[in-house]
Order: sequence, then structure tokens, then C-alpha cells
Amino acid sequence: MKTAVRYLLLVVVSVWTLAPVAWMVSLSFKGPTEWYAPNLIPNQPIIDNYVSLFIPTNPIGGSFFFTSITEPITRPLINSLIAAGLGTLLAVMVGFLAAYGVSRYRAGGTFIIFFTLLTRMLPGATFVAPLMVFYASIGFIDTYAALILLYAAVTLTYAIWLMKGFIDEIPPEWEEAALLEGASPWTVLRKVTIPLTKGGLAASALFIFILNWSEFLFALVISVTEVTTLPVQISKYVSAVGRMYGTMASVGLVATIPSLLLGYMIQKHLVTGFTFGRIR
Amino acid sequence: MVGVRLVNVSKKAGKRQILKNVSLEIPDKELFVIAGPPGAGRTTLLKVIAGLISPDAGEVYIGNQMVNTVPPSDRDVGMVFETPPVYPNRTGFQNIAFPLEIKKVSDSQIKEQVQKVAEFLQITHLLDRKPATYSGGELQRVALARVLVRKPRLLLLDEPLKNLDAKIRERTRVELKRLQREFGMTMVFSTHDQLEATAVGDRIAVMKEGMIEQIGAPKEVYNSPKTVFVARFIGSPTMNLAECTLKRKDDRLVLDASDFNVDMTMRAHEMDREAMSQELLLGVRPEDIVLLDSPANTKSFEGEVELTENFGDERVVTVRVGKVSLNCLTGKDRVFKYGQKLHVKFKEEKVHVFHKQTGIAACVTSQM
Amino acid sequence: MPKLVVRNLRKLFGTFEAVKNVSFQVEEKETLCLLGPSGCGKTTILRIIAGLEVPTSGEVLLDGVLVNDLPPQRRQIGLVFQDYAIFPHLSVFENIAYGLRVRKLSEAELTRKVRETASLVDVQSILDAPTKKLGLSEMQRVAIGRSLALDPKLLLLDEPLSNIDAKARERMRTELGKLQKDIGIATVYVTHDQLEAMTLADRIAVMRDGLIEQMGTTSEIYDNPKTLFVANFIGSPSMNLIDCELVYNREEAVLKFGDLALDVTELTQRIEGKGEGRELVLGVRAEDLSLDAKKTNPVAIEAEVQLAEPVGAKSIYHLKMGGVSLLAKGYGMPNIDAGSKVWATFNIDKVHLFDKKTEHAIV
Repeated sequence: MKTAVRYLLLVVVSVWTLAPVAWMVSLSFKGPTEWYAPNLIPNQPIIDNYVSLFIPTNPIGGSFFFTSITEPITRPLINSLIAAGLGTLLAVMVGFLAAYGVSRYRAGGTFIIFFTLLTRMLPGATFVAPLMVFYASIGFIDTYAALILLYAAVTLTYAIWLMKGFIDEIPPEWEEAALLEGASPWTVLRKVTIPLTKGGLAASALFIFILNWSEFLFALVISVTEVTTLPVQISKYVSAVGRMYGTMASVGLVATIPSLLLGYMIQKHLVTGFTFGRIR
Repeated sequence: MVGVRLVNVSKKAGKRQILKNVSLEIPDKELFVIAGPPGAGRTTLLKVIAGLISPDAGEVYIGNQMVNTVPPSDRDVGMVFETPPVYPNRTGFQNIAFPLEIKKVSDSQIKEQVQKVAEFLQITHLLDRKPATYSGGELQRVALARVLVRKPRLLLLDEPLKNLDAKIRERTRVELKRLQREFGMTMVFSTHDQLEATAVGDRIAVMKEGMIEQIGAPKEVYNSPKTVFVARFIGSPTMNLAECTLKRKDDRLVLDASDFNVDMTMRAHEMDREAMSQELLLGVRPEDIVLLDSPANTKSFEGEVELTENFGDERVVTVRVGKVSLNCLTGKDRVFKYGQKLHVKFKEEKVHVFHKQTGIAACVTSQM
Repeated sequence: MPKLVVRNLRKLFGTFEAVKNVSFQVEEKETLCLLGPSGCGKTTILRIIAGLEVPTSGEVLLDGVLVNDLPPQRRQIGLVFQDYAIFPHLSVFENIAYGLRVRKLSEAELTRKVRETASLVDVQSILDAPTKKLGLSEMQRVAIGRSLALDPKLLLLDEPLSNIDAKARERMRTELGKLQKDIGIATVYVTHDQLEAMTLADRIAVMRDGLIEQMGTTSEIYDNPKTLFVANFIGSPSMNLIDCELVYNREEAVLKFGDLALDVTELTQRIEGKGEGRELVLGVRAEDLSLDAKKTNPVAIEAEVQLAEPVGAKSIYHLKMGGVSLLAKGYGMPNIDAGSKVWATFNIDKVHLFDKKTEHAIV
């Protein structure tokens, strides 16, 4: 009896969570006539919604809808990859070294972690305006550097927080043994610490990537034409007159692909990272 | 292999003084044991020798070279830690080969040397397996192999036997000693177990709260402890202690512990000059108390059995004499019952005397 | 009537048989120890008795009543865990009172009961002390006190001394022994340390792989081990076990091992003809080999000392005798060290013989 209830609960939660995604998939293959229809499987499936992302033409349905989209999705896609990707890379690299310092050498004293976390307690909207002004004054508006540095700085806290935990799991004696054997501290990092914390690093990187990938506010403010990221571009699919549900569904799905891909590629490391466990 | 010398080494961590002015000298090829209760500073001392911790004051010499400014990677010291450094993401072979990898030794050489050490420690079956499958004893051996494979000039072991089952501990203890003897290694071994310390060491340093109380061969530390702490730390069951004073009775010199006394006339020349006027502690080891069913002569005292413990080949009988409980060691062939009345007799030549205030020995016990 | 009866207990974890078929009884005021290496099933049995595990089959009876289906809190059993599990945020008084509070006693009743229990385990002077500052021995007593406050029928202890350093362990062993004698409650405890077992228990059940190999008092198990495993497990250092062959030479019986021949004629009655032609194992404890610097005994055998380990007033000597390695334990002899020659005499009376295949004792 208990197991039946458990399964029922699981099914309900799964359906609740996945239903919107299923609907999105369905929408992305539907023509405008079916957008308001309740059927899950499109009666006349089309791929125009995907095609028009990359080769924008007048939307299906003629001039019924007003659209201002004239560029293919490829540029924003690449911009997002660059901004989120490099931002994550920077955050993880710096964060790892910082976490190592905090874990092994007590860098920053006992409260440093707490203080860095404080920065995350302010909503981004509070410093969008001053940031804009500052960036404008140094000519950073609409540049890749601006986004990358910003993303790295903002997610650095999470990076340090997450990775410190993973580094703490490794007994310091394991590194000390390597030191005694002639390894320099850098060699120790390279040959001992990083291989052993690979799983944790992968998990942190994925988490931070997703954060950066879906960031909207700052991207909106900083980008004008050159570095428009995907979330900003997607928002443009909402037009004054109507909503292009079909294309919004397709672009939404396309936007999830890099994160899914990344997760898939590192899942092996995620598993080994979390299961090597403690010996004895 | 080289010797080690520490001169006035001190180390503080936060508010606590972990090492207070420690000095010792370990000659080449000796198995030196640092023994003491947890918190005495043993691990810190070993790490200072290894270079993983820098002392606040004092000098560390390895061989004849002062190594205070030499980083741990250049000291050529091997250390076996309490938690064996065996990496779970590498096989046994790769773990043992690690130090050689760092030294950039050729692959063929690595293979040869790892194989040799593995054969020697009988762990060749572990070479292709990952540590997740190892037992506690096997982990320690792989850790040891890793340290031995690069033939360091000094070997430090920090409680290497602590996490092993009792039976395996016995065996490994002997193996380590044999290893040390066969290869003439200079080994510094840290432990909280006094039995291990005396069984294994050529010389022992007994540490308490960051200071060395006494250094000497096992027999010396056992028979002639210089302080109360050493007297009670070394030897199991623990030495019995009773408060007493030194008095003259008629012609004789007697240690009076109110409930019993010991005639020290024969050993008057061993006693400290200040002993007469001070509060003293009488120490007698359980095996130096003889249990008799009937009074011997004036030198035995009546007592009652409080507790008996069966140790297999021996028995420990706790006898209450007046206000004092004395642990006595006897053979297994005698049976004692609760509340049984009997008499205790002390082996006078084996009695120890300490100053109560300072804990320092008040008489020189001759070595047996 | 025995306080605790365990009958044909069996426990499977998936396909792994942790407990195969275990039965034993514990009388009122008796202390029984389950002794064995890690993984032998001893802790599982303890947990089954406490009600934390359900046996696959078998019965547990307390005071003659079957308690298999009774949840732990209704069994009136006190369990003290390996790390004592004292509540750090409560005072000593509150720790002991913890279980009593459920019973809705009046404050006066509760206080009286707590004080009574506290004096039983000798913690009455630290009742208000914060638990963080307690020493190990005090923590152990508070943990036991907490269990005793509920007037349990049985006390269970899981490896009570395993996490403590050697010197403290010695002291707490004696304290625990005294405590048991004073309180007089039926106790079962579990350990892998044979010394702990020998000194604290009235009876010991030596376990291996889910079965009890031998049960008896300390003396019985020490002096008359029934199997090779028990003989090797009990006693420190381990009993010397040497493969040997029994040869009858007219009136004489001789044990051959290595290059040596040991006259065991005086044991012929006890051997009763068993053992001839079979592969045997000679068992002799280190303390039953007496050593002398000179050949004073005509039957003494020459041996070379390979290693001497001083342990207190005695020493353990690692000997090589006729190609065989043996351990002898005796009072330290001056000037005898590695490389010296000594003469060893076997105490034939204390010699054990085991059948190599069945691992059972013959003598």
C-alpha cells in the first residue's frame, strides 16, 4: 500500500514538472492555427518554427502577426556560448584556487565565505544602474569582456562555496604525502587535488553554467547589438501585437540544448565524483 | 640513512603551546619511538621534522644539515600518516608509482621498482586493483610501499597501527621492526600505546603536553622512570601510587603511607636529600606486589579483594588496603573471590618514590 | 528463568547471511560478551535483540516472553552506542531524564529517579555540568545512566571501549567492570578486542561468520579452545600454531614438526588414539614455553632469538627453533636479545592439539 502511494506521488510530481515541457515540444511543431488548440500531438506538424529561427522570413500566417525579428538565432546563440562559457570557465578557475586557499591555508579567516555570500543577497536590480554608468564610462557597453567578467564575478561566490566543500573532503595528508615526495604545491594541485575533485568541479561548472546561460537582466542592459545573448533575443519574440508561440517554443527548446549537452558530457564525472566516497 | 637532531623546538597554534622547547637526538639507524597520550604534540613533532610545519623557534637537523629553511619536498623524508595516503582514483600500482612519477623516473624503471617493493610487502595482488576494495591492513601496506619505493633517508610513522584490528596490529608491529632492522632504516615512530612503544623501540621519548619527560631504552624507562607521568604511562596495568612521607623509626628508614609502609633502609643511599621533609608518592608496579594468604611477618599488610580481572595468562586482583586500592598481578593458577581477605607484601627493591609536588623521582632505582 | 533467550536466530541482508544460526541465554546479573572480528555478525545480533533489526527467523525472549514483534521502545532494553550518543545540547541531568520525561512523572518523582540513577553510575556530582566538557569516562557513565534510568531488564553495549586510547581504555575497563558488579543487571556487549572480552565478561561467545564457535567463561575459552580459530583469536600474543605429525614409537608418542621431535607421551591418554595418521596442528601459548639461557632441563630445545619485544616486565621473544618460528613470553632475561641462543622447554601439560582439517581440538 505504501509503495503504491509513493509511486502515485512520483507520477503526479513528474507529470506536473514535465507537462509544460511536453507542451512546449508540441507547440514547437504546430502552425499558428493550432497554437490555441488543446491537442498534444499536432494534427499538421511543421518544422517551420525551427527553420524560421535560422532563416527568418515572414511568419507563417502572413502579415497577421507583427514581428521585428530579422536576424537568425545563430548570433545570439554564439554570444551566449561565449559569455556564459568563458564566464563559467573564469569563475571555476579562480574559484577553485580561492577555495583551495580558504580550505588549506585558511585564507581570509573564518568568515570570508560568509562575506562573499553576502554579495549574493542583494538582488541584481539594485546595482544595475550604477554598473551601467560605470561600464559606460570605461567603454564596456556592448562588449564580450563586460559580460564575461560580470558573469564570472557574480558566480564566483557559488564557485568558491561549492568547491571548498569538495576540497575539504580530501584529507590534507594526501597532499602532504605528495609534498614530501618532491612535488611542488602546483604539482600537488595538478596531480592530486584536481583529479580527486573532478566530480565536484564538474558539478560546480554545470551549475554555474546554467546560471550564466539563463541570465537576463544584465545581458539586457549591457548588450545593444553586438553581444545580444539568447535570453535577450528570446524576449524579442514577444511582440506588441501577439505572441509567436510556435517560434518561442522552438527557440526555448533550442536554448536548453547546450546545458543538456554539457550535462550529458560530464555526467560520467558527476557520478564518479559523488560516489568514490570515503574509504574505511 | 641519517640521524635527526632537534634543538629547542617550540610551536604555538592559536593560544595553545603545542611544543615547548623540545630537544632530542636520534642516531642513524635507530628505531626511535615518540610515545604519549593524544594531544601531547607527537604529530606536530613529526610534521616539524618532515617540514610540513615550521617551528616558531629551534633548529631541526637532518644528517648534519640544518633544514629549517628546506621545504618538505627537498628533505628526502618519508612519512606514513594515520590516514594512509592512498588515492582512490588510482590503482595500487599507480599509487606506489606516484613518487617516482614526480621524480620523472623512466617507465621501465618505475615498473621494476614498484614490482620489487610490492613483492617485498606481499601486496602484488593489489597492484591492479583500486583502493576501494582494500582492507585496513592492505591500505597501510600500500601506503608503506609508496613511501619505501623511493628509499628515503628517514622514515616517519604517525600512529601507523591505530586503525588496524588488534590481531593485525601485533603482526604488523613485528613486520615493521624486522623491516627496520634488515634495512638499517632510521625510523621515528609515534604512538599512544605504551605496549607498542616498548615492544618496538630502540629508545623511547615519553611526551606530555608538548614536552619530553624522559628519553631512554624501553627497560630503562620501565625500571627507572624519572617522573610520575612516565611511571604511570609506561607499563600496564598502571603503577599503583600512594601518598607517603619518609620517616625514621628506631634505626630504620621507612616510607610511611599510613595504611602500609615500606622499609627503605637498604636503599637510603638512593634517596634524594630533600626527601625527608616533603610529601612523597610511593609507586609500586602490580607485578611487584606479592599476594599471600597468611601474614608473612611484620612486612605484610592485610587487605580485601575488591575486583578480579582475568587476562588469560595472568590475573589482576584489586586489593583494598585501608583507604588505598592496589592492583596486583598474579599468575592464573590462583583463584580469588570477592571480599576475600589476604595479605600483600611489597618487593622493597622495586618500590619507586616521587616528590608529590613536582612529580620528579625522589630516589634512584637501580636498573634490573 | 534466564533473562534473555535467543533461539535459532538467522538474519539475511539480501543474499548475505550475516547471522546463520545463533542461540544463547543470559541469566540475571550475568554479563555475556559477543566477541569476534569485524563482520562476524555480532553487532547485527545486538541490534536484533534491541529491536532495531528484524530477524529473518528465530526468537528473542525477555523474561520468558517473546518480543520479536515488540518495537524497541517497548522492550525495556537499554542500548549504549559506540560513541555514547550523548545529547550535546542538554545537561547531564536532562540526558538521564530524557527517557523518563515520556512517562509523565511528577517533577519530584523524576528528580528522585534521576538522582538515584546518577549515584548508581557515580555522576551525581556533575548533574548540572554541560556535556561538552565531560571526559570520556564521564560520558560513558552518563550514557549508561541514561539507559538505566528506565529500569531496563537488559543492558546492551556496542563496542564500549573501541574508540579510546590505550591508557584511558585500561582505566575505563576497570570502571566498567566495577560498575557492572555494582549495578548487577543482565548485560550483553559486543567487541572485537579479546582483552576487553576476557576482563569484563562472565561468559564469552566467540563468533565467526555468523556462528558461535565456542561459548564459555574466560578461563574455559582461554585454557580449552575448541577450535583453531578460537585458539588463535584469544590471547595476546596469539597462540603458536604449528603443523605437525603424531608418531607412535612403541610406548612413546612423539610430535614431529620442522626438524624437531617433541615427546608427548604423557598426553597419550588424552589423545586416546585419535590423531594418528591425520594432519595435526600443535598449539602452545607463548607463556607455556619457558626459556633459559642455559640448558638446565634435559628436554630443552635450542633456539635462536630473532627479535625481543619488551612488554612491561616481560618480553616476547621471537624464536627460530628447528626451522620453525615460535613466540615465547617470559620475564625479561638480561642480555638476551636478537641473535642470542636460548633453551626452550615446552609445558607439555598445556599443549593443545588440533585436527588440521576439521579445526577442532583433540587435546
